[in-house]
Amino acid sequence: MSFRKSLGIRHLVCGSCNGCEHEVNALSNAYYDITQEGWDIVASPRHADVITVTGPMTQAMREAAEATLEAVPQPRIVVGIGDCATGEGPWSGSACAGNGAGIELRAEVIVRGCPPTPTEIRAGLAWAASLLHSKASTAPSIGSVAESGTNR
Amino acid sequence: MTTSIQVLTAGESFRERVLAEAAGPGVPLGAYADADSLHYLFLREEGGPFVLTHRLGESLDASAVSGIWPVFSWDEREMAQDRGVCFEELPDARPLWAERGVMPEAMVAYGEGLMHFVVGPVHAGVIEPGRFTFSSGGETVVHLDAQLGYAHRGVERALEGRSTLANAPFVARICGSCSAARSFAYARALEILSGVEVSEPIDLARLVFAELERIYNHVGDLAASSSGAGWAVGFARGMALKEEAMRLNQIASGHRLLFDAIIPGGVSPATLTARLAIRAGVAALEERTERYVRDVFGNASLVSRWHGAGVVSHDTSRAFGATGPAHRASHGTVDVRTFAPYGAYCSLPIRVARASSGDAFARCQVKSAELTESFRLLREALAALGDAALPTVQPVSPAAGSVMTVIEGPRGAELVALRVGRDGTVERLHIISASYRNWPLVVRAMEGNIVPDFPLVNKSFNLCYACADR
Repeated sequence: MSFRKSLGIRHLVCGSCNGCEHEVNALSNAYYDITQEGWDIVASPRHADVITVTGPMTQAMREAAEATLEAVPQPRIVVGIGDCATGEGPWSGSACAGNGAGIELRAEVIVRGCPPTPTEIRAGLAWAASLLHSKASTAPSIGSVAESGTNR
Repeated sequence: MTTSIQVLTAGESFRERVLAEAAGPGVPLGAYADADSLHYLFLREEGGPFVLTHRLGESLDASAVSGIWPVFSWDEREMAQDRGVCFEELPDARPLWAERGVMPEAMVAYGEGLMHFVVGPVHAGVIEPGRFTFSSGGETVVHLDAQLGYAHRGVERALEGRSTLANAPFVARICGSCSAARSFAYARALEILSGVEVSEPIDLARLVFAELERIYNHVGDLAASSSGAGWAVGFARGMALKEEAMRLNQIASGHRLLFDAIIPGGVSPATLTARLAIRAGVAALEERTERYVRDVFGNASLVSRWHGAGVVSHDTSRAFGATGPAHRASHGTVDVRTFAPYGAYCSLPIRVARASSGDAFARCQVKSAELTESFRLLREALAALGDAALPTVQPVSPAAGSVMTVIEGPRGAELVALRVGRDGTVERLHIISASYRNWPLVVRAMEGNIVPDFPLVNKSFNLCYACADR
C-alpha cells in the first residue's frame, strides 16, 4: 500500500478575518472535495504533514501557534494562505498584529488572495504535496522515522 | 436617520440615566470610550440611534453599569483595558483580552466532584481561535468561561487618524462573515456626515448584498448545526448549498464573500451586472434551500437533539443584550430592519421571524424562517431593479462630527460608531458586532448542558471571533 499521495492538513488561524476559513472549509464540500486527492483536514497537528496558516499573527496567538507548529512531525510544510499571512493584508504591523503568520512561521508555500479561492488553495496544497514528497525521499530512512514515532 | 447624542455633565447621575434608558425605551447596544468620554449606545424604536455621553474627569473614574445590566460587561472591561477607564464596582475586573500575549486566568467553579478542562485557543476544526474553560461535574457543565481576543489585531487604533474613505476596504476586512453588513453601516455613517442620500436603486442593490450575506451565513449555520448533532448528510448538503450561495455572491458582486460590494456613496460599479444570471441563480438557490430546510426539519432524530439544547431564557437574553436570531429565538421582537429601518427596508417591510423556546431548535427555526424572507426580499428587490444600469457612486466628503449606524447583519445588530475630525480623518471608530454581544450568551446557554453538546450549542449561534476580537 502506498501513502505517497496522502496529505494530512492541519489548519491554524492566527488572527485572520475568517474569510480564508470560509475558503479552506470549502475544500471539503462536495464541489472541491479534496479527499479525492487523498488529502484530508486532520484534527491534530500530530497527524499532519502540512500546516496551513492564515492571518497577520496576533500577539495573543504567537505562543500557541509556535507550539502547534512544533507538534507537527517532520518532514512538514507550512503553507501561508491569504494576503494577511504574507504580511500584505490590511492589519499587518498594527498594534497587536505581526507581519504575517506565513512569514513568522517560515512558510515554504504561499497562496495569495483576499481570500484566495478554493481552487487557488488547492493548487498551493498540490505544490506543498510535491515539496513534501521530495523532502520525504531525502529523509534519513523509513526505519528511523518510524522509531521516532512520527509516521502516520 | 441622524444620531441623537445627549451629553451629561459630571454633576448629573450618569449611571442612573444609563440604567433608566436600558430599562425603558432603548435597546442597549453597548458602550465605548474615547480619550475623555464614555458613550453608552442605544437604539430606540422610530427614534433610531441614541447615545448617552459622559465627560470623564482627569482621573478617568466612572461607576460601572454592568453589575445591573450585564450587557455592558465586556464593553466596560474593554474600556478599562484599552482606554484606561477606572471603573468602580466592575463585577468581572479581569482584562477582556490578553495583555502582551498573556491571557488572564480563567474563571472556574470549585466544588466536590468538579473538574476543569480547557479547549483552545487552537481548535480541532477549521475555526477561529478562542479558549474555553469548562468546569463540569461528570458530563454536566457547571460553568464555562470563554476567553476570546486571540484575533485581536488592534483594528480600531489602526484605523484612527486615517482618511475616512481610504478606511472603507479595511472596514470590509475586519470580519469575513459579516463584511457586507459592516461596509453597509460604515457607508451609511459617512453618507450621514456628508449629507448624502443614495438613490433608490442603490438602496435596493445594498439590500441584495445584505440578504445574500444572510443567506450564505444562515445556510452554513444550519449545516453546522446538523453537524453538531452528528448528521453528516445534513452537513454535506448544507455545505454544498453554501458553496452555491457563495458562487451566487461571486456572480452578483465579483467576490465570493461580498467584500467591497457596498462602498461609501453607492455600490461598487462592477456589481449586479449579469441580472439575468443573478435572478436565475436566486430562483435555483431558493428552490434547493427550501428542499434542504424541509429535509432538515423533517429529520426527527436530528430535531429531537436540537430541542432543549442550549436554552437561553427571555430574561437572560434581555439582560445580556442578545441580538439577531439569538434574540428572536428567545421571544425577542427586535430586528433592526423593522425596528429602526434604513435604506430599502423602509419601503420593503419584512415579517420578523420569532420563536420562543430559546434552544438550538428555536435558533435554527428563526434562521430558516429568515431564509424564506430573504429570498422573497431578493426577488422583490431584483424585480424592482429590472435591467436598468445602477447609478454611479456619489461623491462623499464627511464633515466633522459623530454618528452611529446600526445594520441587521446575519447574526444581529452590526454597529459602527464614528467620529470624524475637522481635517476629515477618523478620530475614533468603534465597532460592536453581533458576535461580540452574543458570545456571553453562548456561555450562559451551556450551563446545565452536557459537555458533548457544546459543538451543537455553539454552532446554533455560530458566532464569529474576528469581529468580536477586532
